Amino acid sequence: MSKIIEVNNLSKDYKITSSRSGLSGAFRDLFSRNYKHVTAVNDVSFHINRGEIVGYIGENGAGKSTTIKMLTGILTPSSGSIVINGMDPHKNREEYVKSIGVVFGQRSQLWWDIAVQESFRLLKKIYKVNDADYKRNMDLINSTLEIEGFLDQPVRKLSLGQRMRCELAAALIHNPQILFLDEPTIGLDVLVKMKIREFLKEINKEYKTTILLTTHDISDIEALCERVIMLDEGKIIYNGELESLRTSYAEGKEIVFEFKEKKAKAALEAATSSLPVTWSHLENDLKWIAKVHKNEISISDVMAAIVEKHEILDLKVREVALEEVIRKIYEEGIRNGQVS
Amino acid sequence: MDKYLEIIRIRFLMMLAYRTNYYTGIIIYIINIGAYYFLWKAIYGARGEVEGVSMVQMTTYIAIAWMARAFYFNNIDREIANDVRDGKVATELIRPYNYLLTKLMQALGEGLFRIFLFSLPGMIIVALIFPVNIPVEPELWFYFLVSITFSFIINTQINILTGLSSFFLMNNGGLIRAKRVLIDVFSGLVIPINLYPLWAQDIFKFLPFQSISYTPSMIFSKAFSYGELINALVMQGVWSLILILPIQIIWVYAKRKVIVQGG
Amino acid sequence: MHSVSVMLQYMAQYIKTRLQYRANLVIEFVSDLMFQGLNLIFILVVFGHTSNLNGWTRDEIIFIYGYFLIPFTLFISFFNIWDFNDRYIVNGELDRVLTRPVHSLFQVILERMELESLLGAITGFIVMGFAAARLNISLSLTDSLLFIPFVLGGTLVYAGIFVMIASIGFWSDARSSIMPMIYNIGNYGRYPVDIYNKAIRFVLTWVLPFAFVGMYPSAFFLHKKEWYTYAYLTPVMGILFFGLAILVWNTGIKRYRGSGS
Repeated sequence: MSKIIEVNNLSKDYKITSSRSGLSGAFRDLFSRNYKHVTAVNDVSFHINRGEIVGYIGENGAGKSTTIKMLTGILTPSSGSIVINGMDPHKNREEYVKSIGVVFGQRSQLWWDIAVQESFRLLKKIYKVNDADYKRNMDLINSTLEIEGFLDQPVRKLSLGQRMRCELAAALIHNPQILFLDEPTIGLDVLVKMKIREFLKEINKEYKTTILLTTHDISDIEALCERVIMLDEGKIIYNGELESLRTSYAEGKEIVFEFKEKKAKAALEAATSSLPVTWSHLENDLKWIAKVHKNEISISDVMAAIVEKHEILDLKVREVALEEVIRKIYEEGIRNGQVS
Repeated sequence: MDKYLEIIRIRFLMMLAYRTNYYTGIIIYIINIGAYYFLWKAIYGARGEVEGVSMVQMTTYIAIAWMARAFYFNNIDREIANDVRDGKVATELIRPYNYLLTKLMQALGEGLFRIFLFSLPGMIIVALIFPVNIPVEPELWFYFLVSITFSFIINTQINILTGLSSFFLMNNGGLIRAKRVLIDVFSGLVIPINLYPLWAQDIFKFLPFQSISYTPSMIFSKAFSYGELINALVMQGVWSLILILPIQIIWVYAKRKVIVQGG
Repeated sequence: MHSVSVMLQYMAQYIKTRLQYRANLVIEFVSDLMFQGLNLIFILVVFGHTSNLNGWTRDEIIFIYGYFLIPFTLFISFFNIWDFNDRYIVNGELDRVLTRPVHSLFQVILERMELESLLGAITGFIVMGFAAARLNISLSLTDSLLFIPFVLGGTLVYAGIFVMIASIGFWSDARSSIMPMIYNIGNYGRYPVDIYNKAIRFVLTWVLPFAFVGMYPSAFFLHKKEWYTYAYLTPVMGILFFGLAILVWNTGIKRYRGSGS
């Protein structure tokens, strides 16, 4: 597989200015400012292969947006290098941005007062898309996103879900090789989210479009990405497969038991003493959770051990939610992908 | 009454928080005063007076006209239009105060702020740059203060009328702009009314506009005789009473419209 | 050319948008006309009391005003960037602009243009034509050939100054009212510069060269030979100031991309 995005030792320092008060202060601010230095992105290196969908995640202020802004050529890096599609985004911006599509979930790309299709026509002109390509593209977009019905409506009359689908379509009019999505599903309902995910998979399959997305919605990541890059305080703390993130950070699985009678913790622990299990209380001494620490051991061993001695009404096996895994990683502050 | 005093106070404090904008505002007004000063200087040329007004009086007139504008000028026409457009009027109507009176008080809070932090320092700077003649007679200052109070009332009433038009027009941005231009021309801000041809002056007599700028500026620059002064003040009083009528009528219709159509 | 076709597309979109609020558009036309009329009324009233302004007659002053309206409305229509700082830098719209393959200033201008203001140019032609007829001014071939570079020069002077002021937003996030301040100084350029003192004349010629928008080129068409040198400088000043403005803008964009506001 060929690398389409290559980022090496990328850093971004901000100077945060503080304004002086008063008119004389405002005039002095014109010539010299008070600065504070903040490192938003700190020595980050990664690469993305052509056709990959990668999730870029992290808490607010972890440096996700700053990285996206550097990758899209909006910001220039303080140090380090970015090569995307053989180009340096900040050197030849106008040429470079023809090969990318960008969606900022919080900010509209479309013109507020005019019909969506008019915005599309304008973008078609800006990106010099020929009629045949435009038609082929729009047909694909329409078949999944189903935006045809409101193309003649002005953007201000659309619902958030409709608007977001149009935003996505707008970013893809020129069939970019790389798509950057910053919080593309923020505030959307489940059905629209699913539609958007389905569409992203579709274009990834059809055009081999490389997709890098940031999101706070872990279900986006689970539905789309094979690989995640996790950022904390400007540094990469995890870069790898989604599945191995779950298995190496999450401690196995959980079994929820509902017993017929009230149980004491000691009795349950006694029953599973030979197995790597920790018990915790769920509610009113009837429901208990068994956390199974190693994935290798069979869950049925635990179940068998319990059923043998205690009568149960119900049981559920659940995987530790990825969300929980990620929350835990942040809380424990794991460094550089090392399992603690 | 207490709640209205509170509204004035809050608006005053709000303006204080954004005071930096007003320093540049003073400079803008001085630039405008300068533009007209140089024009009039060229017009006067070697002449001592035009229509019985000396150059010093004219300079004083221009300066005080602009500085008084800082006091009577406000944006409540736009504020009312925004309230209507955002549907805020409906909620304002159920509050235990009179909506229009509240707007008037907000405008007063803004006006009081500007008279102390804009007009007063502005006038001092203007007096240092241009040859103006600031009156020292206490009774003249009294008449002047009465007069600009009326200016404020009349201008605000016209603003309320313009603002209320938004109940009946989809988008009244153009109307607000047109009204602003109209007031600047016909109030005497850029040209003293007595310099207009007589037929125009006769028309202006039947309009409220000259009560806004011409009257206080003429008083301040001592260009009115005593009789003219009293006459002009009475006219200002009459206009501020007359204008209550259309406001009340339109307000009744506007409220009905809100109740029937939900704003 | 690509940028021309992009521009035409933007204009088509703009017209469609504006036609959605037709009533307001009409009122805006009327208020524009009134505003232009206000200045004319001022000139007419003033000349009711004097026959000349420092040697300039009423019709000459009206001619200058009519001419001035043409580059001025071109500027107002295409360089409506008053809210650049708030809209593009504070609200972050510039990020979107920077992800598109067209020069950033060009995009901002196209997004903010107000074509309806172009009507003022027609008013300008009428006012100027009326004054020219009364003055018996005949336009020679040279005059009409120079008309376009003079008008464009004046537009570029205005545009250059205001693009430079808008660029201040890249360096300072303090809300400033410098823009309206300079805008008001622009009104000085509607009258002959010789009514002002030396300092103001110098500023209007070399620092904020608003005199090149209305007065200097008009003096050429009014056949006032003493101002010809200045009149010929109009396109030069336009290109100079606008070129400088683009330089400042590009530096500002570089800075924005360095600091991200």
